[in-house]
Amino acid sequence: MIGLGPRTLFLKEVRRFMRVPGQTVLSPLVTTTLYFLVFGWSLGSRLREVEGIPYARFIVPGLVMLGAITNAFLNTSSSITVMKLQGTMVDLLVSPLSYGEILGAFVGAAVVRGMMVGGVVWLVSGLFTGFGLSHPVFSLVLLVLVATAFGGLGFVTGVWARTFEQVNFFPTFVITPLTFLGGVFYSAAMLPTPLRTLTLSNPLYYVVDGLRWGMLGRSGTGPWPGVAIAAALCGLSLGSGYVMLRRGWRLRG
Amino acid sequence: MHEPVVTLRGVVKRYGNFTALDRVDLDVPAGEIFALLGPNGAGKTTLISIVAGLVRASAGSTRVLGRDVVDDYRFTRRAVGLVPQEINFDPFFTVEETLRIQAGYFGVALSHGRLEEILGALDLAAKRNANTRSLSGGMKRRLLIGKALVHEPRVLFLDEPTAGVDVQLRQSLWAYVRTLRSRGTTIVLTTHYLEEAEELADRVAVIDQGRVLLVEEKQRLLERYAGKTLRVALSAPASALPESLAALGARLEDGGLAVAVSAAPGASFGPALAAIAQAGLPVRDLETHRMRLEDVFVSLLRRGAPSEET
Repeated sequence: MIGLGPRTLFLKEVRRFMRVPGQTVLSPLVTTTLYFLVFGWSLGSRLREVEGIPYARFIVPGLVMLGAITNAFLNTSSSITVMKLQGTMVDLLVSPLSYGEILGAFVGAAVVRGMMVGGVVWLVSGLFTGFGLSHPVFSLVLLVLVATAFGGLGFVTGVWARTFEQVNFFPTFVITPLTFLGGVFYSAAMLPTPLRTLTLSNPLYYVVDGLRWGMLGRSGTGPWPGVAIAAALCGLSLGSGYVMLRRGWRLRG
Repeated sequence: MHEPVVTLRGVVKRYGNFTALDRVDLDVPAGEIFALLGPNGAGKTTLISIVAGLVRASAGSTRVLGRDVVDDYRFTRRAVGLVPQEINFDPFFTVEETLRIQAGYFGVALSHGRLEEILGALDLAAKRNANTRSLSGGMKRRLLIGKALVHEPRVLFLDEPTAGVDVQLRQSLWAYVRTLRSRGTTIVLTTHYLEEAEELADRVAVIDQGRVLLVEEKQRLLERYAGKTLRVALSAPASALPESLAALGARLEDGGLAVAVSAAPGASFGPALAAIAQAGLPVRDLETHRMRLEDVFVSLLRRGAPSEET
């Protein structure tokens, strides 16, 4: 049974992003749908199939993953930065909430937003490519793991950042390049050797490919490398977030 | 003195080479309004931030109701309410939502009755459904007080509660602070408005450069340090102070255009006035000045406190 304290913080964080649906849900929906339409239709007519999958279907798991990762990250990082800049972080720090409760509530809300955006992207894509899922439970678990990992990373970034410019550093220079170059729109098998090696050294490639296995039943690397990487990222980001809270780093003087 | 609700022993806070608090020992008795006085940067906010859990001490022990604020933080934070100096608000929520959320953080489901009481006491009932962004500065400050009270803390810390607040609101906040004390809440107030401390406080601590110079009941402090001054303005400058006046401790001021003499609270100025008349000094005007907390404070900061009073 989750106590009233963490439940309040979790619901507050969910209500916060639901109060601005245009910014938090609709905007990524439009962006990701445009990716789907432009890449899926324009390239789909020329590539036809990748790894035996119609190209328009091939890119759906990557787009779902992109939406979930970006939104889970942005929810925690922006919320914590805003609280720090507006001074409302004080309200939380004087409360008796434990470190685990604070971390859990923030990351929980990030997972909700990430899953919501990922789900909406999947629904819209499904209108064009069909709604069939090969391994729905696996897909759900992997997405939750990834959203947790990036919600945790957003938490760490929010605590670390002193300005919004610093918050934007990770999505702009790390997450988006890694995701785009992580096989959202192509398979590593299609690339020449040097680029293939580069792609295979990108951890997000395995995560995207794992979801492809879950949703479409086929992938180059199979399900488990993606799960292992997502679980490791979860441990790393949540562990770091917990230690930062415990030490009060950049939060308590 | 009642049992202390807040106890600091040897508390030190350093920021790099700067020592914000230097071996502070302090007891805040239950049920009183306790004023922490000091100039800007004296360490007042650091001190209350350590008790509230916003800042970690570099050394020493801080206890609330006998429990350590680090080891037993879940207990001590439930006992403490903090009204921070800086106004903050979350523009995503209304006044009522803000109060309910803050209560929730403390594991308290805010009852309808308690919500109405807080809104009424802080004159925010008409704004309960207003977004916090739309509130005036004074309303936002009152909302801060409401947030600090939702979990019915045993000790309420008010950090410069009336900074930038108009006279009317200040009076109503003072009245509410007295109401809280009458219900048993211990109030710790930091202020550099000495008038505020003089009006409200039962006990006063003077802090400067991270050290507590003095802790004393306000009334006793005033009696001990206070006195009065008679200032006689002359219509023509006196070149020297007559011996009879010098013997009474009088001094010349304003280039000989005024004679000033200080006395203990119960003492008479009769001998001084008689000596002025006898010396034939041309009196133009006279005024008396009773020393107030502000004078005591300034004099303490100038000379520091005697060791037996710390």
